[in-house]
Order: sequence, then C-alpha cells, then structure tokens
Amino acid sequence: MTGPTESDETDSGPASAAESERADPRPDGGTTESATAEKWSRSGTALSTAVGRPLLVGVVTVVVAFLTVPVIVTFVSSFAGSAAGVVPRGFVTFEHWQQVLGFGTHGVQANAIPGLAFSLAIATGGMLLNVVIGVPVAYALARYDFYARDWVNTLAILPLVPGLILGIAFVQTYPNHGRSALGLLAGYCLLKSPYMVLTVQSSFQSMELVRLEESARSLGASWPRTVLTIIIPHAKRGIVAGCIITWTLAAAEFNFTYMVASGSPDPFAIFLYRNISNATHLQSAAAVSVYFTIVVAAILVLQLLGNRGFSTAQR
Amino acid sequence: MSDVTLESLTKTYGDETAVDGIDLTIRDGEILGVVGPSGCGKTTTLRTIAGFETPTQGRVLFDEVDVTHVPPEERNVGLVFQSYALFDTMTVRENVAFGLKMQGVPKAERRERADDLLAMLDIAELADRRPTTLSGGQQQRVGLARALAIEPHVLLLDEPMTGLDAELKRRLRDEIGDLLADLEVTTLYVTHDQEEAMAMCDRIAVLSDGTLEQVGPPAEIYRRPATPFVANFIGSSTLLEGVAENGHVDLGFTELPVDAETDGAVRVAARPAAFELDEGQIAADVTDVTYLGDRTQLAATLPDDTTVTLHADGIDGYRVGDSIPLSIDEQRVHVLEAG
Repeated sequence: MTGPTESDETDSGPASAAESERADPRPDGGTTESATAEKWSRSGTALSTAVGRPLLVGVVTVVVAFLTVPVIVTFVSSFAGSAAGVVPRGFVTFEHWQQVLGFGTHGVQANAIPGLAFSLAIATGGMLLNVVIGVPVAYALARYDFYARDWVNTLAILPLVPGLILGIAFVQTYPNHGRSALGLLAGYCLLKSPYMVLTVQSSFQSMELVRLEESARSLGASWPRTVLTIIIPHAKRGIVAGCIITWTLAAAEFNFTYMVASGSPDPFAIFLYRNISNATHLQSAAAVSVYFTIVVAAILVLQLLGNRGFSTAQR
Repeated sequence: MSDVTLESLTKTYGDETAVDGIDLTIRDGEILGVVGPSGCGKTTTLRTIAGFETPTQGRVLFDEVDVTHVPPEERNVGLVFQSYALFDTMTVRENVAFGLKMQGVPKAERRERADDLLAMLDIAELADRRPTTLSGGQQQRVGLARALAIEPHVLLLDEPMTGLDAELKRRLRDEIGDLLADLEVTTLYVTHDQEEAMAMCDRIAVLSDGTLEQVGPPAEIYRRPATPFVANFIGSSTLLEGVAENGHVDLGFTELPVDAETDGAVRVAARPAAFELDEGQIAADVTDVTYLGDRTQLAATLPDDTTVTLHADGIDGYRVGDSIPLSIDEQRVHVLEAG
C-alpha cells in the first residue's frame, strides 16, 4: 500500500516544477528548454520512485518475514500441546516451559537455567573484557598515526576466524586449561573483539576526535579527564552497539563452545543442541524462546542506556 | 589578558619546515589577523600558541613567562575552530560552563557566568538546547562563548567563519569584531579571507611558506606592501619591472614620477585602481572581459607584454582585441625592491 501512495505524492513534485518553468519562459528558446527539463524530470521519477522504492520495500518485507516467522512460530509452538503437522494444536499449555525451566516431572536431561546462566555470565565477561581492551585499541587506531598502525589494525580484525578453528587451536595449544570456563571466556573475548573494535573505531572516526580533545584540553581538562568526560560519552553509541553485538554473538556461539566446553554445566548452546536432537520439538522450542526473550530484553536495556542523554531524543 | 610573544619560532616535521623563524608579538587587547595561503604555517603557529605543538626552536611567551613547554590545559587559552567542535553530549550552557567547571568554580556561579555570556552573544534562549539542534551561526556563537568563559590569556580563532554563508559572515564579523574590541581580549585570528582580516583586525600578519612577510595595520599592508608576495596576496596587484633614477621610474613604455629608495632595478606594484581609462598615452590590448554587475573587470596587455587587471564602470561594451588608452596614477602605485 505504501509504495504506490508515496510515488503518487512524489510524482506531483517534478510536474509542478516543470509547470513553473513553463510559466516563466525565457525570451529566446525558453520553450525548448522547459520541454527538455520536463522530459528529464519525468524519466528520473519513473525509474527511482515508481519501480525502485516498491521493489526495495518488497524485498525487505520478504526477507524480514522469512527471518522472523520461524521465531514467532517457535515461540507460539512452545505453548501448544501438539506440533504434528504445520499448524500447532492444543493451546495453551505451560508444560514445556515448566520442563525446560526445571519444574517438569519428566523429559529433558536437566533444566536450562544453569546452562543459560553460565553462558550469559561468560558472554557478559567477554563483553566487559572487550570494552576494556577494544575501546582503547579503537581509540589508538582512530586517533594516532603510529608505526605499524596498519598491522595493529589488521591484527584487531584477524580473530574473525570461524569459532571451530579457534576452538581446535585452543584445545591443542592449552590441553590442560583449554577446556574450561577460562578458555571459554578468553575465546569469546577474542572471537568477538573485532566487532567491538570496528564499531567503536567508526564511532571515533565519525566525530571530530582531535578538535573535541583540543577544545576540552584548552578549557583546562587534563588528557585522562578529557577522554573520560568528553571522548567516551561521545562514543557511547558505538560502545553500546559493540556491546550488543559482542554479547549476543558470544552467548549464541556454538562452534567454539562445542570444541572447548568441558560439560558441567553445559553451556546454553550445547544444551539446546542436545535437546533438539533428543527431545520433542516443543521442548526445544521453549528453550529457544527463553534465549530469544533474554536477547531481546538485553538489547532493549542496552539501547535505552545508550540513547539516554543523546540529542536525537530531543529533536 | 596579556601580550603573546613568539621568538624565532620554528617548527619542522621531518624534512618539511612548517614555520621558519617567526618573530611576532600579539599586543595586549589587540586583534591580530594571520593571513596566508594554505600551508603557509598559520595553523601551526596557532597550535603552537595553544600548546598542541612543541616548537623545534624558539619560544612562546605569555607576558614575560615562557610557556613553551607548558601543557595546553595549563595555558588558559581560548580556542574556536571552524568546525565548532562543541560537546554534543552536553547542553549549550554546560558547554559554556565546562571550562569554569575545570577551574573548580562552584556550580551556581558557573551557571550565572555562562548565562551572562550567552546573553552577551545574544543566544540566551538556547541555553538548554543541544548543540546538534543549532544552526552553524548559533553553534559558532556557542563556541565563542565557551572559549571566552575561561577569560583566556589569548583567544585563538582558527577560520571561525569559513563554514558560514556570506551574509551571515558579514553580520557575525561586525558583531564579533565589536565584542572582542569591547572586551579587549588579546586575539589571534587565523583566516584565509583577507577581507575578513581587514574588517576585523587591528593588525595583520602575512605569512608565506612559514616565514613572516609583513605585519602592520590593514591600511599599511594594503597601501605599502613590503614584498611582491604581500602586494599580490592582499588585493590583487600587477607587478611591473622598471628602472629607478632621479625620482623617476622608467617602465620602458612610460615614466612615472615616483620616488624609489635606491636607484636601479625596481618593481612597481599597481592596484587595479591605479590604471585609469580614457585619457592616457599607453596603448593596451584587451585580452579578457568579465562583467561583474557594478563594474567590468578587464585584463589587458601592456606594450611590455605584462598583463594587468583593471576595472571599468558598468558595461561599456569592451571586447577582446580592443585597444584601450591607459594612464597610471602615480599616487596609487608602490615601489618595491627588485626581487
């Protein structure tokens, strides 16, 4: 519905512009010029607005639907009694949620809570570690032109290797400590650090880093104070975005977790995997739902934190 | 407020010399303009005074105190950038009060002084807004208020009006010029716009290639340029080669009754206004005609093949290839030593 209406509205713009040109013709050859202008503006409108915009809206709608429908179906199914066939039946039951959350009488190997808590704790640890390490690295990369800067830049992005490979490397290199919570923490931090460095770096680059710093210092703020009270707050949005990405990706990381996790408690990704292969569909659906609920809540909280104090809210 | 003195200031980056032995004093309470083409060292000079560059050689003195190695945050210098560089995470009032907060001024007094400054700059009603919601001109006022709030030894303005449109620039220029004169703030005003410098500054320093070409009041810089560079950079000039003897300068095709300090080869700098149309015996060929509305700018070739720029009133129907009779007003030329 939106596509055609919007193109109708924008169509009137160039048409009225062409009219106003005709109303004020130049004495020599003015008519030819306005005719040309009309032709040009018509063809420009036709391509970008009439076709491009509806096409883009259509593609985005299909993609978003394709990605979100399974999530919604999973969430809804977790309250259904039977999931045989396409349409789930037997609403509303909390039986599966009870089992997954550990209140059930039978079924899955264990409840999801310890694994979930374990995974979230490690993901949070990895995220905090990334803030402490990634933000200064991003600052240095954005602010200074130093020897081997390009190498540091490359090294900061290098851990974008598949978690499986890093997992094997960990277990082989540290046979005694690789399979531990510490191994998971280090791995999550390393695996996801490029996302933190890249988002924060682009945040630093999009502000006038040097000028802001020099303004603050000329006004009497020492360098540490400038960084803490001016630079970091200006980069808050990038840091929050980096936190969201590193945290969610770490909490959901399977490959690396599968290679490195020692098994007590099972991290959430492993727990999900075992349930999907062993238990009924609906139980795992409930488990997945728990995970998505937590991710959505965390993103909302982080974004609220990030938006507070930003000018866009007041515009 | 105080004098700022640069003593044989030199700054090199590797093989590049950005500033080459500048001696310059910004007098207490004056507005000193620094003009020059890009890369002439004007911004490096400003940054050295602010403390963001350490000179390779030479000293920076505030009154009699050597501040060459004092860090920026201890110099009490006000900075205003072309790009404003306001703190977007704070309100306008918090921006202005930031320097006072760093000085440990109590909150109530900070607020009062910030509001006073905002009122002085005619933007009191913007105190609770965020900088990102303001127009360019408003942001520049906030930047100026923020820099003035700390009552700086010296105010450094780095092309503060370059991003603004012509009309606003003119208005802000007059207003800020008056304000700075009233407050008697020692000011260094870096700009590439010589008209702006002429209008606002008590004195102008012309830099070229890291060296100081001339420093003096605007009228002196314009009327008596010390070097061919200044003659060309400040307003346009035509440089004519000639020989001086006995109170005359012989240009080959004509003689001017002007005095040179020494006899021998000289250069004569002539402003467009020095060439008068209609009455002279010098025959020049028009090579270019540019209609500018209230006047027409002509380029013409003199008998010695020098191209001169001159102005004619309105549209007088000049065409390329015309031969026009010129004379040179000897009151409006300035003799330079041969370079």
